[in-house]
Amino acid sequence: MEVIAVDGHMARCVAQGVEREVSLFLMQDEPATVGDFVMVHVGYAIQKMTPQEARSTWELFDQVLAAEQAEIDGLPDDPARAKDHA
Amino acid sequence: MATTTITTTATSTRQWLDRLRALKLPRRFKVMNVCGGHERSIAMTGLRKALPPGIELVPGPGCPVCICPEESIYQAIQLALSEKIILVAFGDMLRVPVNVRKNEIRSLDQARAAGGEIVPIASPLEAVRIARDNPQRRVVFFAAGFETTTAPVAAMLAEGVPANLSVLLAARRTWPAVAMLLESGMPGFDALIGPGHVATVMGPEEWAFVPQQHGLPAAIGGFTGESLVAALYSVVRQLVEGRRFLDNCYPEVVRPGGNPAARRQIETTMEIVDANWRGIGTIPASGYALRPELAAHDAGKLYPSYDDDMRKRAGEMPPGCDCARVVLGRIYPDQCKLYGRACTPRNPVGPCMVSDEGACRIWWSSGVRTPRELADVE
Repeated sequence: MEVIAVDGHMARCVAQGVEREVSLFLMQDEPATVGDFVMVHVGYAIQKMTPQEARSTWELFDQVLAAEQAEIDGLPDDPARAKDHA
Repeated sequence: MATTTITTTATSTRQWLDRLRALKLPRRFKVMNVCGGHERSIAMTGLRKALPPGIELVPGPGCPVCICPEESIYQAIQLALSEKIILVAFGDMLRVPVNVRKNEIRSLDQARAAGGEIVPIASPLEAVRIARDNPQRRVVFFAAGFETTTAPVAAMLAEGVPANLSVLLAARRTWPAVAMLLESGMPGFDALIGPGHVATVMGPEEWAFVPQQHGLPAAIGGFTGESLVAALYSVVRQLVEGRRFLDNCYPEVVRPGGNPAARRQIETTMEIVDANWRGIGTIPASGYALRPELAAHDAGKLYPSYDDDMRKRAGEMPPGCDCARVVLGRIYPDQCKLYGRACTPRNPVGPCMVSDEGACRIWWSSGVRTPRELADVE
């Protein structure tokens, strides 16, 4: 849900047009502010949502393998080739 | 009520499925998920039908209502009927039946119909509000849940609750149940998809014991098709390539260490105890109890135990009900002989057909209406 207003430990959050009162009490180490997106469970924000990095360790692993292979082959690191393996 | 801002395209799910199908499986693999939300996503998207032959997905212990101790529900019913309190509980707890004689009250729903003041709630915030609005009354919050729900309950207590509010706690930890299965010698699965919301709060590290101590692949999964299939791909590829590690396929909210503030609230308000799981028994270090400092808000200490020694099958699943084996992933929901016959959401026999996180209820909602042919049953 997107945080649209904050008052102490309480926030107004909205998702798909539905507004809810949400507690930020569990977010004290990483305070949520207006415009942040939070994961909400039973009325409490439990984590901020951040852009995902690699979806699986295998993606990184395959990129490393592809880079190593490119080096072995003495070829420049070809993005199309890396993509093949990702 | 999880909401995500990160949209998943059908293409990316399909790409993960394509990669999964490209793996050459040396044998059949059974992958367990331990989260009602995962099972709902799997059942509702029809993912099982899209999997390559040789990969099975079985739901395991992912429903806190299903394993909530029968004696705790019985106690909640008796408190509501005998103590003139207001009892509040998460809505899907209300229809869970306990084992009593035929004409006795067997659920919180029935206790409410008989005059008990029982209010379904969706958040601990509502429990506090009801206690504040009724200062002359005693309010008991019957709180069952896994870590994701336990953290908000802990936050509610840590923030300070009205003097007239107490908690009847039935909070459970997820990983000890999986550890028990793995240590049983017959886990019944080859790899694990770890629960995304539990790992969001507690950190993915809790699940490292699966590859490290038991040599089984594990990946934390989210709730979109993309994240779930990525997790499935990860564990199957680990199996195929003979590598073992804990993968995090839900990185947008699952971070190393989880949510430290949430873990701290649990630690300051609760202690870890051996705990009973309905129909399964005691699992070491699998539950939470309120710390002694919170005795004034501990309904377990404030009220007498209404436990009845004469009550038959106390602590067990209802007669004929196979919920315990469903919860442990020993059988699929439609392998229970009551499924779709004696047991439906309208007339549930066991808790797995009641809770939104119960595998039987989820399978029913996804359109599975009849029990599997007996020949298929193990």
